[in-house]
Amino acid sequence: MEGVFAQTLVSGLFIGFLYALIAVGLTMIFGVMEIVNFAHGDYLMVAMYFSYWSFALLGLDPLYSLPMVTAALFALGIITYYALIKKIINAPMLAQIFVTFGLLIFLRGMAQFLWKVDYRMIPQTVLSGQLQLFNIYIGKPQFVAALGAIICNGLIFWFLKKTKLGMALEAVAEDKEAARLMGINSDRMFALAWGIGIASIGVAGALLSSFYYVFPEVGGNFGLIAFVVVALGGFGSVAGAFIAGIIVGLVEVMAGYLLAPSIKFLVVLALYLAVVFIRPQGLMGKA
Amino acid sequence: MKKFFKLALLVTFVLAFSLPASAQQEIKIGVIYPLTGPAASTGHVLLEGVKLAAEIVNGKYNLNMPLGKEEGLPNLKGAKIVIVSGDHQAKPEVGMAEAERLITQEKVVAIIGSYHSAVTATASQAAERYGIPFVCEASTSPTLTERGFKWFFRTTPNDALFAENFFQFMNDVKKKKNIDPNPVAIFNENTLFGSDTTKFEEKFAKQYGYKISGIMNYPAKSTQLTSEVQKLKSFGAKVVLQTSYIADAILSVKTFKDLNFAPDAIIANDAGHIDPEFLKILGKDANFILSREVFALDLTARKPMLKTVAYMFQKRTGKPMDGSSSRAFTAMIVLADAINRAASTEPAKIQKALLETDIKAEQLIMPWGGVKFDPQTHQNMLGRGIIVQIQGEKYHTVWPFDLATSDVVWPYPKWDKR
Amino acid sequence: MKKIIPFAIFLILLILFPLVFRNPFPRHLMIMIMMYAAMGIGWNIIGGYAGQVSFGNAAFFGVGAYASSVLLTKFGINPWLGMCAGCGFSVILAIIVGYPCFRLGGHYFAIATIAIGEIMLGLFMVWDFVGAAVGIYVPILPESFLNFEFHSSKAPYYYIMLVFFLFAIAVNFVLERSRLGYYLRAIKDDPDGARSVGIDIQRYKMYAFCVSAVITSICGTFYAQYVLYIDPQSTFNLMISIQFCILALIGGLGKLYGPVVGAFVFIPLTELTRVYLGSQGQGIDLMLYSLLMIVLAILRPQGLWGLFARGAR
Repeated sequence: MEGVFAQTLVSGLFIGFLYALIAVGLTMIFGVMEIVNFAHGDYLMVAMYFSYWSFALLGLDPLYSLPMVTAALFALGIITYYALIKKIINAPMLAQIFVTFGLLIFLRGMAQFLWKVDYRMIPQTVLSGQLQLFNIYIGKPQFVAALGAIICNGLIFWFLKKTKLGMALEAVAEDKEAARLMGINSDRMFALAWGIGIASIGVAGALLSSFYYVFPEVGGNFGLIAFVVVALGGFGSVAGAFIAGIIVGLVEVMAGYLLAPSIKFLVVLALYLAVVFIRPQGLMGKA
Repeated sequence: MKKFFKLALLVTFVLAFSLPASAQQEIKIGVIYPLTGPAASTGHVLLEGVKLAAEIVNGKYNLNMPLGKEEGLPNLKGAKIVIVSGDHQAKPEVGMAEAERLITQEKVVAIIGSYHSAVTATASQAAERYGIPFVCEASTSPTLTERGFKWFFRTTPNDALFAENFFQFMNDVKKKKNIDPNPVAIFNENTLFGSDTTKFEEKFAKQYGYKISGIMNYPAKSTQLTSEVQKLKSFGAKVVLQTSYIADAILSVKTFKDLNFAPDAIIANDAGHIDPEFLKILGKDANFILSREVFALDLTARKPMLKTVAYMFQKRTGKPMDGSSSRAFTAMIVLADAINRAASTEPAKIQKALLETDIKAEQLIMPWGGVKFDPQTHQNMLGRGIIVQIQGEKYHTVWPFDLATSDVVWPYPKWDKR
Repeated sequence: MKKIIPFAIFLILLILFPLVFRNPFPRHLMIMIMMYAAMGIGWNIIGGYAGQVSFGNAAFFGVGAYASSVLLTKFGINPWLGMCAGCGFSVILAIIVGYPCFRLGGHYFAIATIAIGEIMLGLFMVWDFVGAAVGIYVPILPESFLNFEFHSSKAPYYYIMLVFFLFAIAVNFVLERSRLGYYLRAIKDDPDGARSVGIDIQRYKMYAFCVSAVITSICGTFYAQYVLYIDPQSTFNLMISIQFCILALIGGLGKLYGPVVGAFVFIPLTELTRVYLGSQGQGIDLMLYSLLMIVLAILRPQGLWGLFARGAR
């Protein structure tokens, strides 16, 4: 069925852009300070809840509350850095893993405590409805989400490569000591990385909340997917994350189409294993 | 002297009242529900249903149901039901432990439970080991009555029976409206509930002569359902039978709208489609969805006794009665009735009385034909589901036709024609 | 010699426990404590001693439970033999997973274990031969040691679990003092140094992982025979894997008594928080444990928990 195949490809592509956006923060944080943020997916959950409550309590459409949510998550990223991460920058990996993993559990427990486990969804958004191209349907929210993801990824890429601040960040990632000798305060750079990394999740969460439901565990699957994307793209490579995100999105829908929908997520996980076994540095990562 | 006398009188008075009342027997019934954790709100609703039933049995009311008019259990000298609850947290091993605790420490004479099929499995296993009757009021996995257990009884219809309801309904609509609901497509989530239902739908389709043009078992909690729905569209079915929990139910309807998918009928299987959030979130997009249900408040039109009970429930809890609380209520009534007929709290006698249960339809608040347990499997053979349709953003009973309060709208109107 | 006395007292108390507490509920609690303690010890061997954090050990629990149950229900094989088969399967799984994964750095490994745990869960949910989402009802047989089922009392289950628990402790004890233990500590503290003196890191981590798998698998079979019903959600659950880590971390990473202390603190505490704070679901106790986890990982107090000190990268 040609129509179904084309439709599948397009939806895979679009969700792939979103996956890329979710993963870019994770890869950036790792690139700059070599810490894997296990709680990454759960910040997505927090962003989605902020979006939801902005709607439920203030009547703001997620598209309009997006700047607010992004700012909030930026602040959250910075706070997380100074409160927790700074203390374990030089700690053994075991400790780092436990801290970010503990953060994962804490965020989920807190969500469960504050907002219970019910599924929540924003009923009607400014973006409802679908677009039609030939016989391919694209939900408006998904389209805007993909667009937003591309823009955001582009912004981050431009920031890192073309602005002084961004280049300072990259310098710290390359060689912390050398950067310090050049007068770059690595502490502030780390905080910035966390801020931007988590803020990008804020954007993703705000976009996602216009068509997906939120519940305390929603960060789980998205978080795992983010790891797959980062591994495939190469830990630390923003461009890699972008390409890998698209690939993962396509793999997921193709697995559902060719094999069976019930195991499409398993194929994505298997992809992670395949990547780390065969080429651990991923597509574009530092070897 | 006077002061002392007064004091003595007072003390005697107090003592007299604190002495145990003439031994009014207490009948302890254990109930095991998820009172904490994700399903806690349903657990509490179930508990309230049981408590209301116990209150009616113990008190003086004028209701046409077993023990609805007497105070306490007459054959046991007016003994009152006392409920002892246990929380299983949706974990099978905790369910088992709670059952054992209730049986050995609290000395309950029977148990009602437990909503989650997996927990009902282990809790009832404990009951089976100890030889204590276990009445299951809400777990619908058919395997529970296929274990050859002697002490396990199930009042609610199971998933097999519910799946059959789809085809009975379609046959009735076929006759009434002269339409052809063939072929059907199946769109079910892939956990226990969905996969069981798929099996039965395939079985009954064959039995009732329906062609299945495609089966899609999608993973519960997908990030998006676009490709799945596209594939579903390609099956070209007239009727879609869907089984989903709340998140996927909502996501699927949104995707149907986005992809302009409108078969002649979408018949859902309870769960997500009758969750209050479904209507709340989708609003008018939810209209015209059909679903199998276990219960509906508009049944009060045909069952006045339900009106009274539903009103009592609403007053007590501030919530309307639903399929969970009504079934929990009914299970308690069935159990109390059996204990009364047994005229004893001996487990074996209660078991025998349960097997002899024969409650008529008019004495139930459920839309069932009655309560009578199959002698082999102990499944209530007279239970059945109903079909509701969302019309005007409200649920209306549309089948069986003798209980319907509204006519079914078929076919499902196209999206641009609403 | 000095250490023997507290241990002996501990042992005697454990043996006497069911004689004093005759109700099934306290016995059940102790059985769960010992089971989690044993699996925590299993986790500790690979996580605390070898320094490879695994968030997927529940996979071995599930394999153990399913192996014995499937063999029993489909082929009528005795659960004790099924338990051995389960251990075999778990070892194979450990090798398949460990061999490629150990070459990866700690993060990659941790994520890989999560991925494998989820894959196992997903697979077992759709695999009809092992019951898919329905799970497996272990048939109720007349109670006997041979059948590994008891109905009239929990005491036999208790003592069997006690034996398994002691077995786990014994294995850990021997391992600590063996060459393998020595190598593991070397690998954890200074992998490059270890490699330079010719220690085959891969091989020893693999041994540790297999030992971890066997202990966990045995508990899986026990669970299946104890509860007599298993399904993918109750066995291949990420939360179960996480609990092993929490136990070991709270009680002391890389120390034999660590998971034991952790289990004796954590499990009853879960009961208490559920009873007093539970109305909002599990939120609060999750927050408490995670905070504890974070604080311990940040502070890394010396002495008891000194194993963090010279961690490997």
